[in-house]
Amino acid sequence: MTSRVMAEFDLLLPYSVSEAVTLLASHGDKAAVLAGGTDLLVALKFDYAVENIISLAQVPGLDKLTYDPEGGLTIGARVTLVDILKSADVKEHYPALWQAAKVFATPQLRNTATVLGNILRASPAGDCSLALYALGGTLTLESASGRREVDLDDFWLSYGVTARKNDELAIALQVPAPQAGQKSAFRRMTRVTEDLSKLNAAVCLQMDGDKCLSARVAMGCVGPTLVRLPKVEKILRQAGITPDLLQEISDTVASEIAPIDDIRSSADYRLKVAGVLVKRVIMLALNGGNDQ
Amino acid sequence: MKKHAITLTVNGEERDLIVSSNRTLLDALRDDLGFTDTKYGCGTGECGACTVLVDGTTSINGCLTLAATMDGRSITTAAGLAHDGALHPVQQAFIDNDAIQCGFCIPGMVLKTISILADNPRPTEDEIRHGLEGSICRCTGYAKIVEAVQDASHRMAGVGE
Repeated sequence: MTSRVMAEFDLLLPYSVSEAVTLLASHGDKAAVLAGGTDLLVALKFDYAVENIISLAQVPGLDKLTYDPEGGLTIGARVTLVDILKSADVKEHYPALWQAAKVFATPQLRNTATVLGNILRASPAGDCSLALYALGGTLTLESASGRREVDLDDFWLSYGVTARKNDELAIALQVPAPQAGQKSAFRRMTRVTEDLSKLNAAVCLQMDGDKCLSARVAMGCVGPTLVRLPKVEKILRQAGITPDLLQEISDTVASEIAPIDDIRSSADYRLKVAGVLVKRVIMLALNGGNDQ
Repeated sequence: MKKHAITLTVNGEERDLIVSSNRTLLDALRDDLGFTDTKYGCGTGECGACTVLVDGTTSINGCLTLAATMDGRSITTAAGLAHDGALHPVQQAFIDNDAIQCGFCIPGMVLKTISILADNPRPTEDEIRHGLEGSICRCTGYAKIVEAVQDASHRMAGVGE
């Protein structure tokens, strides 16, 4: 046995979504759902305990990643980071998500960890979840009493807490089809590449020439949840994107975030560099992913 | 705690076993089946010592995988790479490039190399280093490991040397 011994639990292996949902209906308050497990198993080796773990390993149909120019991108509950990286559609139409997957953790973890797991973890430092926050999306939750859709904008309630109820299974995330002129990008800062981000930022801009028609700007590691920057978004929509406008944006960012001191960085440092990171991620989006 | 009867194909051989719900794949391989070539390092998916390949060339951390979720899957450990007494070209490249010091990370490094080269037979140095993230060596500066991967890439493409 290894030194980090997991607490005891019963592993349940449903063979369909309906069976999984039935199990959640009866065990929901005392159950965790396991897809990739890269967060859950680490938690179980430290201080987390739960009576039942419902694994999606044998549930068919949840591993689909599909793109449709009209309907957008559908990411099933078992789609991994590597599935995202291997998708030419994601790389072309949702560069922010592809860039986040590229630097996400390590190859072994990318082969295992799921995109939906990253969203459900509700970490304020999540990379893929941040890229998806900028791109926008709707999560489909299924329970014994039916399905409902929750916008990502309403999904993260506080640190580690989401709008998912205990009896609900997250089935898929729907990301809208890109609009004409849509550009997106993701950037993060870490000490070494395997670290969690000390600061990350993602944008999705709808451009008409050098004018920005709509903008979603999201930032991580600066509050208890991922946050959007509404003032920055408003400035982006005001005028053509010029060096002066980028400087105004950079100067505004600090007023919209509330970082803390932690093991990865200090509040002071984050406040100082956040504006630069946002400016750079906007430039990255406008340059079509060329980091110059 | 529930127990599960599962079948794993390990290094080409079917193995039936009964595992507790909280048994990791790593513990099942090491303690139940004797594949001690798969190492326990950090236990939290950071060091890569427990790396195994699933269903061919997909690298995963055995320490973060529940054995009972792997029923019916095929696992390759470093002990399954040699054939008829001949080492796998990746293993031989690691030896010939002096890429091994204490050796603890090497089973994982060799399996990761196979995974990298399966996706990308002629990787650049940057691609090799990006691909080796998640496998930590505390002896070396990685330079010889990278050279070993480059050499393995040449050997497997049938050029060089």
